[in-house]
Amino acid sequence: MTEQPIPRLVEAYVGEYASGKSEIAINRALELTRQGRQVTLVDLDTVEPFYTLRSLKEKLESFGINMICLSAKDAFGLGETGAMLNPKARWALRHEGDIILDIGYGVYGARTLNLVEGANESDELKVMLVINYSRPMTNSRERIKEYINSFDRIDFIVANTHLGDQTTAEIIIEGNQEILAVANELSLPVAYMAADINFAAELQKHQFLVPVKFINRYMPEAIWS
Amino acid sequence: MQKVIGETKKAFLTGNEAIAWGCLAAEADMMFGYPITPQNEIMHYWTRLAPKYGKEFLQTEDEISAGFTVCGAIQSGIKAFTATAGPGNVLMQEPFGMAEGMRLPFFAIIQQRGGPSSGTVIYSQQEVSLTCYGGNGEGHRIVYSTATHQELYDYTIKGFNTAWKYRFPTYLLGDGYQAKMREPLEMYEPSERGIDIIKPYPLLGLEGHIGTDREPQHLRNIYSMEEELYDVVLKNDADYNSVRQEITEYSEFNCENAEVIIISHGVVSRAAEDAVKVLRAQGIKAGSFRPITLRPFPREQLLAVLEKSNAKKLLITESALGQLERIVKYEIYGQTLPIETLFMPGVGIIDYDIIQKIKSII
Repeated sequence: MTEQPIPRLVEAYVGEYASGKSEIAINRALELTRQGRQVTLVDLDTVEPFYTLRSLKEKLESFGINMICLSAKDAFGLGETGAMLNPKARWALRHEGDIILDIGYGVYGARTLNLVEGANESDELKVMLVINYSRPMTNSRERIKEYINSFDRIDFIVANTHLGDQTTAEIIIEGNQEILAVANELSLPVAYMAADINFAAELQKHQFLVPVKFINRYMPEAIWS
Repeated sequence: MQKVIGETKKAFLTGNEAIAWGCLAAEADMMFGYPITPQNEIMHYWTRLAPKYGKEFLQTEDEISAGFTVCGAIQSGIKAFTATAGPGNVLMQEPFGMAEGMRLPFFAIIQQRGGPSSGTVIYSQQEVSLTCYGGNGEGHRIVYSTATHQELYDYTIKGFNTAWKYRFPTYLLGDGYQAKMREPLEMYEPSERGIDIIKPYPLLGLEGHIGTDREPQHLRNIYSMEEELYDVVLKNDADYNSVRQEITEYSEFNCENAEVIIISHGVVSRAAEDAVKVLRAQGIKAGSFRPITLRPFPREQLLAVLEKSNAKKLLITESALGQLERIVKYEIYGQTLPIETLFMPGVGIIDYDIIQKIKSII
């Protein structure tokens, strides 16, 4: 048995399409890898397994992340099998070190966590809800509240307002303020807010009530994203 | 009428969601559908939105049923629609044929996936022939091929209006990449853009006594005698030709003095325009022509572009094995300039692919 000197992190990222789940999960895995930690990134999108981290697998492996995700080669010959669970993903929590899970979208996506052995019993697992205020279903305080309440369980919020290539600092700040207000009202902790690294200089001029993590965008490299 | 969009603002969406919101903005009443990738999220989002706005959804037992239930709902005056892809598009050709035969204002979204058969779930431009010329023949349709999320939203709204105005089945032809991509777009209330949404109207069970108050409604998809059908087909064709020019849409990019013109449609036209920018910067005179309506095809517009550009070559590129090419060749019959092709069936085409191809042919 290898000893873990510090407690490991197990984080499952859930949220809407285009909320930024995958981008946040990738960046979190990279952040922890850079700290010298052993990290496994699990693609648990059983809803659309061929549109997710597949095209980035080799690149992320080259950064030192242990990837549990179908590669083009693994998926070859499977055809359209509908909801499909990568057997390695089922046992993901048995891996040593930190585990970051990128979960399929929405409430039903979040329920796929049930398919991971030990997820329900784990006291390490934290369910992180990624919210983008530019999404129509989460573009007002009422809608965010309604959306959060549709989940069985959320441990932390990650505020990730953006508009893809048309993001501005103003969009980030205004959107995330609304998300923070709702989290405060519901007494849900906000783990951090995320923003494209290109906005670092502008955002660092402001004070925020929660930590800010600057992220690099990897998903645009997937041709369909 | 409850406003569904409210204040116009930018939103970050997948293409399928943009379509679902477009259907709401177009005041659609009901979706009938059967799940198939890559159109599933149109259904998912419609079913999430429907209860909030008093809309309906029915999942039928298959695509044949989904198509025919739309045919039935439309006749009763309900603005109904469906969405499908690949093998589902094949099954729906029978109800689509009924919509052609009975001149029903049928609007459907097709998100192309790879073929033949179940092919891949992911992406292609391989449903062009089927969507434009499917059915059992001699039917008339209108097909919009979109390239951006903004267009998915815009042409969903427009597509319903086109169907209900002209009474020809109308299709929004997207693909798996457009379905799943995330991209900002502006969602708006159609009224704020001066767009009047055409209200649905019943085709059957009309007021008044037949013979005294009004003519009978002949909604038929079968005729006893060949002469009867002959008249109907010719009338439909004349109707279609009389509105063809006002329906036809296209766009051109840098075609003035272009020596080589790239013809592409849908999402591939984005790569074509990017390629033109790079090639022009390198001193290569390239232009891009994109039919937005694949049917009716902008024939006169393309011929005019060829005339004014003095093009010496055409490059037809598509994520299919020559489906757009067949249409283009038919439409510009008589032109003698050489036609080169870049076919990547079921695979994405990026600007680099087109740039390399152009350099190899000039």
